[in-house]
Amino acid sequence: GNYRGPVKASSEMNTYKNVSDIPFSKELMIQVDQKNEAVLFPIYGCMVPFHVSTIKSVTSNQDNRTSTVRIIFNVPGTPFSPHDANSLKHQGAIYLKEITFRSKDPRHSSEVVQLIKTLRRQVTSRESERAERAT
Amino acid sequence: MSDGHLFNNILLGGRGGTNPGQLRVHSGGVAWRKLGGGKVVELDKADIAGVTWMKLPRAFQLGVRVKDGLSYKFIGFREQDVSSLTSFIEKTIGIKPDEKQLSVSGRNWGELDINGNMLTFLVGSKQAFEISLADVAQTQLQGKNDVYLEFHVDDTTSANEKDSLMDLCFHIPNSNTQYVGDENHP
Repeated sequence: GNYRGPVKASSEMNTYKNVSDIPFSKELMIQVDQKNEAVLFPIYGCMVPFHVSTIKSVTSNQDNRTSTVRIIFNVPGTPFSPHDANSLKHQGAIYLKEITFRSKDPRHSSEVVQLIKTLRRQVTSRESERAERAT
Repeated sequence: MSDGHLFNNILLGGRGGTNPGQLRVHSGGVAWRKLGGGKVVELDKADIAGVTWMKLPRAFQLGVRVKDGLSYKFIGFREQDVSSLTSFIEKTIGIKPDEKQLSVSGRNWGELDINGNMLTFLVGSKQAFEISLADVAQTQLQGKNDVYLEFHVDDTTSANEKDSLMDLCFHIPNSNTQYVGDENHP
């Protein structure tokens, strides 16, 4: 299942320190960087990183030979993602809410969806454990 | 013409990914030719409105904005190319390249900047991504706060990417004042 609790999104979120820390890839496709807890999306020839905690859900859809991967990000003011300290801090900001990719490779797309889900679960449970310990 | 700089294996980036080709920066402008023929991009120096450099993992990207609002991205320069090309462009085209930075923070909140045909999503003044509004097939306002951008799907392009962008949605909270009552907003 999908854990839907608020993810701790630190305002100091810094997935990478430098551009050169982003894993290099020859192929333009969605990638999961387990080590840095990031998902990289190919947008206009560039790999653009997003921290996994910004992701609310991910789904894939297969039909015939193409498949789509849809990523929904956390945005403030929607059910299941209450205003956290973070969204209050960034009033006036515009959020990337959704992004959909069409994949030529159904195996890759279902794999990447699984990887994102697993990584998301790991990070959320770690963060909620940490929050519990803190209380 | 023998003047200028020639680079093999420069990728032209676009919605469908990248295509390899050969880029020539000469005193009259910039020309890119797809490897094996086909697409040609020729930018006359009189039409060039701006030039930017951006560092990517293992490569540099040269962005060339032309006066009709379009922007071209050439990817695959080495660090030493940047300084030599910068001075060449300054001298011959008369434009000082700006430096842009890629956002590495992984955040999904920031600002939108629309310049000509290009829409840039900026995170903490660094660029997360830039899209060409010319590639947008349809925009839709959903609810009061969500703007959908749907892209043209082109099956015929030979671009190399495995996963290609289909649509994007931006959430513009009520607290955002930048686009209140702005009819030109996409």
